[in-house]
Amino acid sequence: MSRATVELDFFGMEKANSGKSQFQRFVDRRRSFRGAISKMNPELIKSVISSGSTNLSPVDWRKSFSVPSSPKEDRSSPVPSLPILNPALRVSSEDGPETAPMTIFYNGTVSVLNVTRDKAESIFKLAVEGSSRNFESTDSSKAANPSRHQQNLLETRNGDLPIARNKSLQRFLEKRKERLTCSSPYA
Amino acid sequence: MEERRTAPFNTGMPDAVLKCVLPYLDGPRDRASISLVCRRWYELDSASRKHITIAFCYTTTADRLGRRFPAVESLKVKGKPRAAMYDLIPDDWGGYVRPWVQEVAANLDRLRWLHFRRMIVRDSDLEVLARSRGGVLRALKLDKCSGFSTDGLFHIGSMCRELRTLCLEESSIVELDGQWLHEIAMNNSILETLNFYRTDLVQVSFEDLERIARNCCNLTSVKISNCEILDLVGFFRAAAVLEEFCGGSFNNEQSDRYNAVTFPPKLCRLGLGSHRMPSVFPFASLLNKLDLLYALLDTEDHCLLIQRCPNLEILETRTVIGDRGLEVLAQSCKKLKRLRIERGSGNVSVSHRGLTVLAQGCLALEYLAVYVSDITNASLESIGTYSKNLCDFRLALLDREETITDFPLDNGVRALLRGCEKLRRLALYLRPGVLTDVGLGYIGRYSPNVRWMFLGYVGSSDTGLFEFSKGCPSLQKLEMMGCCFSERALAHAALQLPSLRYLWVQGYQTSSQSSDDLLAMARPCRNIELIPARRVITTDQVEEAVVLEHPAQILAYCSLAGPRTDFPETVISLDPVL
Repeated sequence: MSRATVELDFFGMEKANSGKSQFQRFVDRRRSFRGAISKMNPELIKSVISSGSTNLSPVDWRKSFSVPSSPKEDRSSPVPSLPILNPALRVSSEDGPETAPMTIFYNGTVSVLNVTRDKAESIFKLAVEGSSRNFESTDSSKAANPSRHQQNLLETRNGDLPIARNKSLQRFLEKRKERLTCSSPYA
Repeated sequence: MEERRTAPFNTGMPDAVLKCVLPYLDGPRDRASISLVCRRWYELDSASRKHITIAFCYTTTADRLGRRFPAVESLKVKGKPRAAMYDLIPDDWGGYVRPWVQEVAANLDRLRWLHFRRMIVRDSDLEVLARSRGGVLRALKLDKCSGFSTDGLFHIGSMCRELRTLCLEESSIVELDGQWLHEIAMNNSILETLNFYRTDLVQVSFEDLERIARNCCNLTSVKISNCEILDLVGFFRAAAVLEEFCGGSFNNEQSDRYNAVTFPPKLCRLGLGSHRMPSVFPFASLLNKLDLLYALLDTEDHCLLIQRCPNLEILETRTVIGDRGLEVLAQSCKKLKRLRIERGSGNVSVSHRGLTVLAQGCLALEYLAVYVSDITNASLESIGTYSKNLCDFRLALLDREETITDFPLDNGVRALLRGCEKLRRLALYLRPGVLTDVGLGYIGRYSPNVRWMFLGYVGSSDTGLFEFSKGCPSLQKLEMMGCCFSERALAHAALQLPSLRYLWVQGYQTSSQSSDDLLAMARPCRNIELIPARRVITTDQVEEAVVLEHPAQILAYCSLAGPRTDFPETVISLDPVL
């Protein structure tokens, strides 16, 4: 099942998140999505665009600001974790010959990703479809206790339903969990 | 004795002869065939039919029942769709027993056994029943019902003194007190089966239980809700012929006190809410039924217990049994007929490895229902090869693992269906991609005897459903969830499947023009009902708001009663006349 709806958070919907936490979440996920993400100073982006240059050496960039490091990046290439505007400095991808970098400018952030064609198409599709529905499910998932998601809830993700559990058994398992948590008040 | 003169379209057989033969024919399908031969045979069948099951309460009316079968002695009526057991149906959906109870009270003089399943019962209904038939009623089963309280049960306890069987399993009952059981204890001396298992009735007094055990010398089956086992020592001593016991819990810290508990000598069907199994070991070899659904055993405990139960025929437990437990089962329990593995909450799971070993070891298996975390074609083939007695197979694939080892499962499913020739009931709850359109077509082609199916997340397009509906000649009841099928395909399937009389679907491609596509399946004597997508907000255990999104549901069924008249707001009837 596609988990693309989760990726959408990454597109800067949650403005409150710093680039680092966004990035940290991204690194934690086991996906075939690879690439370097960072938040860049909008002024810097403007200067790049106005200069029309894409050939700045990595070293110059590093002097201007700090970038969160990417363990995956380090593994995959000797080039340090910089957002890449220069195609020549593209991070070598582990995905295979089909990936290409995709750069996304959104609301003051720039992200560069190495994606396969399929992934790129699904990103385009998602961006076009909009995200109002995903907003809803994000909000409702915040309202509910996250640990219960896997167990009990009927949560829609684009119409997908996890398995509902037999009522009486569910009550028994919930009561047992309560009893276990209540019995160790110092835990 | 009446002798009929031979007429061109008459069998020439005197009624007296028929009346001698008919009592030997009590299977519903045989009786249905008899009633179709000619008017005389129809009348004889009507006058002598003893048992009726109304598989869905809105297919007919209570007074039609009374008019056709006035001598019926045993009646079973089912209400809400099965999905109600998983909280997918609104509570007030319907399925009221009132019209049936009124018919019983008014006209069905011979009625002795009454069973309502997944229906809404009111205290007043129970009072009417008790007052009208209390003197003769022998069995009352309110199975997964709701809407009544212990006051209604009080009437049953005080007026139904001929009751041999009272079953309330899994019903939602408002508990006001424990007086109802006291009434039974004071008034009944012939009770054989008492069951309020999986209810929340806890105000019952164990002294009343003990009194019942002393008074009722035929008490063979008692299933209760939570009650401390230590309080039941007297009960167990008094219930000398008890064969089945379920419920109770071991809550006392001083575990040596449990050594005083001796179970009745004939006990062979058991269900304990306990982590203490050593107390069972002395008579484990007598057990033929074991219910571990509410027990607190881990995998190792399961293995230790199961290997001591060579006579086990029925086992219900949770996924904590694990593949290792299934191996022990396969080695030790050669007589196993029914196995149900419900979804637990821990990390241990059951997979194709356990299922393969189980199929090879337990050749007598007739019913298998299991939640798995992983499944392969080879394991399904094993089931097809070895489980030749399998009548009922239900498989649900958990979404714990990201991918499964081996998919699609098309070939495995085909092998299973071709091998298990006796299969009558089938449930497959999978994931998108696990059973393709081809596989769905196989199900259609290779399930000649299957009468009921539940399919979740199968197929990938309408083509699959078209192929499926070319087959399944015996399919009467079809339930589907998480479908990718359009309304048009569903309507087409409903018209194609030759035996289909009940269709329930949740999660499908709604079409843009409201339900016109669905109306294509409209026929006289067929009702179509919709429950549009709803959002339900409840609070969970920790008082947090939980939003549940329920997709739309369709329910279509054959009926002689016309559209329902007792809809709640959530249900819409599609009436083609409008």
